Amino acid sequence: MWLPLLGLLLGVSLGLLSDIQIPQVYNNYLSIAILAAFDTLFGGIRAYLQQVYDDRVFVSGFFFNILLAAALAFIGVHLGVDLYLAAVFAFGVRLFQNIAVIRRILLAKWTSRKQNTGQNV
Amino acid sequence: MSKQLKATHKKKGRQVVFSIVFLVLGFILAFSYRTVGGNHMELDETQSDLFVQEEKYREDLIEQQERNKELTDELFDKQKSVQEFEQKFSNKEENHAVLVEKAKDLRLLLGVIPAKGTGLKVTMEDADYDPSLQNPNDYIVHESHVLRVINELKIAGAQGMTINGQRVNSNSYIKCTGPVIMIDGRTFPAPFTIEAIGDPKVLSPALHLKGGVIDGLLRDNIVVTTEEVKEIKLPAIRDKA
Repeated sequence: MWLPLLGLLLGVSLGLLSDIQIPQVYNNYLSIAILAAFDTLFGGIRAYLQQVYDDRVFVSGFFFNILLAAALAFIGVHLGVDLYLAAVFAFGVRLFQNIAVIRRILLAKWTSRKQNTGQNV
Repeated sequence: MSKQLKATHKKKGRQVVFSIVFLVLGFILAFSYRTVGGNHMELDETQSDLFVQEEKYREDLIEQQERNKELTDELFDKQKSVQEFEQKFSNKEENHAVLVEKAKDLRLLLGVIPAKGTGLKVTMEDADYDPSLQNPNDYIVHESHVLRVINELKIAGAQGMTINGQRVNSNSYIKCTGPVIMIDGRTFPAPFTIEAIGDPKVLSPALHLKGGVIDGLLRDNIVVTTEEVKEIKLPAIRDKA
């Protein structure tokens, strides 16, 4: 259970302490990679709550989405098309949807538990 | 048994995979924060650093100036007390009265303390401009005129002098800077009022000698008036700015 948390802490400290500098131009790719990572993460949580969760789908999706988003932004810059915006839009919408679904599921669970306890009393 | 082992293995593998996922997530988040968010902070910091430094220097300067002022006031007080002390001294010991008198005279000449006494007041004004004569230099008071009057007064025994309220001593300089003159770093416009402490019965005739200073000034179209004054008050010399 603690291993993932350890990984997170390690990642954060690595990111804060590392001395790598990337040019300002690539900041776009970084931000879109973050968006993709969040999207996959919340997608995974939603899938878990809906009991359709699969390890392989989640992990492959996580890395593949990050790479795809970055690649898309890269291609977009070189083609002169703002594909970067498309990725932001798509991931943003999905992020909101995922969070909304998670909220609903949690709300439903909470109300059903309340009803159960009420019946018990 | 083997099934259980397999299950634990699977669980461990899952945790490892999760750790890698979170590691990547954390790294990206922190890295992005450092590169994107950090830049702005650095920029702000340098700006505010400079600002703070400037503010500090300004405060230091003000502090120093205030300190200077305090010290100058203190100096005046000290000199005044020294003078008072010498006064008392002279009252006690008549032998030293001459020396104290001399010190008083010298101090008057140096101009380090305010002084008052009978004296002469000389006013020099530019002549009215006459359009038929082209050169305005012929009509204004030059620093050489002021110098001539000052020197004549000194020779005649003036003990302390001011030009337009600025005390002058033997170290003072008078400089021509266009239509105005500069005395010890301060500029003064015409008309010039020279006040000198001394015996007016000596000072006035010295200036009015035939072929002397005043004659020369009048020849240069300058309006000169002299006035004997019962009591002239001279300020102490101001420190050079």
